Amino acid sequence: MNAIVLAATSPPSTTHPQHAFGGGVLILAILVIASLGYGATRLTRGRRSRGHQPEPPWPSGRPAPPPEAARTAPPRPLDQRPPRATEPETEPESEPKEGWAVQTHGLTKRFGSNVAVDDVELRVPRGSAFGYLGPNGAGKTTLIRTLLGLTRADAGTMSLLGIPVPAARGQALARVGAIVDEPRFHHHLTGRENLRLLAAARGGDAAGRIVPSLARVGLTERAEDKVATYSMGMRQRLGVAACLLADPKLLILDEPMNGLDPAGMHEMRAMIASLAEEGRTVVLSSHLLDEVERTCDSVAIVDHGRVIRQGPIDELIRGAGARVVQIDCAEPARAQQLIDQAGLAAGTALAHTGLTVTLPAGASREAVADLNRRLVRADIDVYSLREVQTSLEDWFLSVTSRLGETS
Amino acid sequence: MTTTERGTQAPGAEAPERSKPWTGTWDLITTKNLEIRKRRGVMITMVVLIIVPTVLFYGLRLIFHAVDPHGYGLAGSPQFFSQATNLIDEFGFIAAAALGAAAGTTDLSDGMFRHLVITGRSRLALYLARIPAGLAITVPLVALAFLMNCLVTSYESPPDPTTVSFYSVTAPAHLDQAQLQTWMLANTQQEANGGFLPGLPSGPGITPTAAQVRSAIDKNIASYYSDYTAAEISQSTPADNEMFKIGLWLELDVGIAFLVGLGFGSLTGQRTTTTIVMIAFEILVTPLLAHTQLPGFIDGQRLIIGVAMDQLRPAALAAASGPGGGGGGGILFGGRGAIGFPPMPIWAMIAVIVGWIAGWSGIGAWRMITRDA
Repeated sequence: MNAIVLAATSPPSTTHPQHAFGGGVLILAILVIASLGYGATRLTRGRRSRGHQPEPPWPSGRPAPPPEAARTAPPRPLDQRPPRATEPETEPESEPKEGWAVQTHGLTKRFGSNVAVDDVELRVPRGSAFGYLGPNGAGKTTLIRTLLGLTRADAGTMSLLGIPVPAARGQALARVGAIVDEPRFHHHLTGRENLRLLAAARGGDAAGRIVPSLARVGLTERAEDKVATYSMGMRQRLGVAACLLADPKLLILDEPMNGLDPAGMHEMRAMIASLAEEGRTVVLSSHLLDEVERTCDSVAIVDHGRVIRQGPIDELIRGAGARVVQIDCAEPARAQQLIDQAGLAAGTALAHTGLTVTLPAGASREAVADLNRRLVRADIDVYSLREVQTSLEDWFLSVTSRLGETS
Repeated sequence: MTTTERGTQAPGAEAPERSKPWTGTWDLITTKNLEIRKRRGVMITMVVLIIVPTVLFYGLRLIFHAVDPHGYGLAGSPQFFSQATNLIDEFGFIAAAALGAAAGTTDLSDGMFRHLVITGRSRLALYLARIPAGLAITVPLVALAFLMNCLVTSYESPPDPTTVSFYSVTAPAHLDQAQLQTWMLANTQQEANGGFLPGLPSGPGITPTAAQVRSAIDKNIASYYSDYTAAEISQSTPADNEMFKIGLWLELDVGIAFLVGLGFGSLTGQRTTTTIVMIAFEILVTPLLAHTQLPGFIDGQRLIIGVAMDQLRPAALAAASGPGGGGGGGILFGGRGAIGFPPMPIWAMIAVIVGWIAGWSGIGAWRMITRDA
């Protein structure tokens, strides 16, 4: 302390070359900031060039998707939302003996006045491949983030593998693997190093699962390469490897096909199928109807933050009701008139090669035979008569509000 | 449907696993350290800011002395020791703050924070693991730079002076208090002509009388002796224990910079912003506020970490940095050692330092726990 007093009361007795360093530190400070800014710019550019790839084209032979503006439109404000469906969302299911893999009750998440997850009742059976299907902006990712504790719920209860979260979140997530949004990693580390980091956070035996996980996803050869050099598909696979570190009983994959080319999608589909075959529960969130139909046994349809249907895909489609018959025949206009006059169909429409007939809900196979009989008796040549299978996509569009928005 | 209540487990619930410790485990710390070390830009910045200035400082002085021994003195003088220490301190503070900002933000910016949270590991543990992981980088680098400083000072220093200058009075070295009093009473003319001794009448054209000088010496000898001792220390090559204390002080100052950078970075989530603010704080705000005593706000100014750390500065370094000791006292580099702030109580100094460490760590941890991933 006295030294400080001395310093303050006596004039300098020597020249102080340190003064010159003042300018030096300013220059160095500018260089530090500039280098940080340059690094950030490079990183951003890299992400832009390597990051989000365009979504694969909508499958041919299907109805065109809603316009981009409608697909990416933010959810409508609460006061403009359609009234809640009066029909029951699903058939009440009894709880399986082994419990649900995922269960939510009244789960709600709001962002200001926007309700992203609205009173969701979700039940995912164990050992199933479960699709969580909804249009963009329907609240799929928000629900997953809430389940995983990445964001807090505003209301409701939830459990993973029977363990309540967030009360026992650490315990619940010990056997859960998840990819949320695009899988991103430390780009300056190798794939193996990124997994080491995550294994250290998991603790236990996770470190011992790094090698088999990399082998499982086919990344052993590239494990020592920096993630910055990975393609989108490789990063998706690394994300799956990160999930496998937990030896998960429950896998939650959010839009895992995003940005993948057809070959990558094929690989990912096979990987998901193999994981489900091992008895793991796989929850697949997607807006790609075809993918969910190909991969999953059960599905929940979400729209505007609400689960509007859930259950096994077959049952849901069967329950949709209407039976559609495609008739290839001569004189389609006369055939249409005949069927309409006979009151056999709920609706008819002329198609490119004939006639599309929608039978009333609950119509039996006999109704199809009756159609054929009447056409033949009226001397109309019938070349083919084919029942059109209702796809998940058709059903999805019929139950979500998107169809109404785009029509 | 049976609803699972909070805190209860449904049928088929997983058997509880061994609970994870809430603090960071060794693996978590070492892998985080690996993640930071592998950032080439950050590590180059650290070396350039902490090691290179000392190497250049002494390297040039050693070369100049070797080429022209008469024009350039030995490189290891106490003055140079003080200047080099200040260099390490200021650049180390900036480097450590930048490192803390990087450690606090890169998981977020790289998208790894989400992966880490999904592991189920406590977010607090994830935050705490960053502290030793980052300090494991700053501490050795600062130690290396300071070790070079100490080695040059120990092996390239001139002999300790036989006289000690304080208040423009030159007295023999190695006197105890009684000897100093005797010597000062015998040399009142020198002290009167110098006119800088505290307690003597001063002003333009005023020369204290011998009686006034004697009276001041008898009254203030304890204070003079304390100042004499500090000046003697600062003009001599620091002893090993002094060097050790200065090294610890350096590590504490740089460590605080890292912790503040980490906490502030976690709060903002913006690495560049955090770094800019920390640099501005260190090279602009602290010197400006530390050199200007605002009436009625001195206690507020004492809350600045730089002011509190200045009070903790080891005696040899503090004296050397001040004009009285003959060391450097620039606004940046010696600003702290020469700011002339009235001393603050030990408890207040410790409270400010602990407050900065605990406060920023608490803010950073809180933000990490509450942040949406």
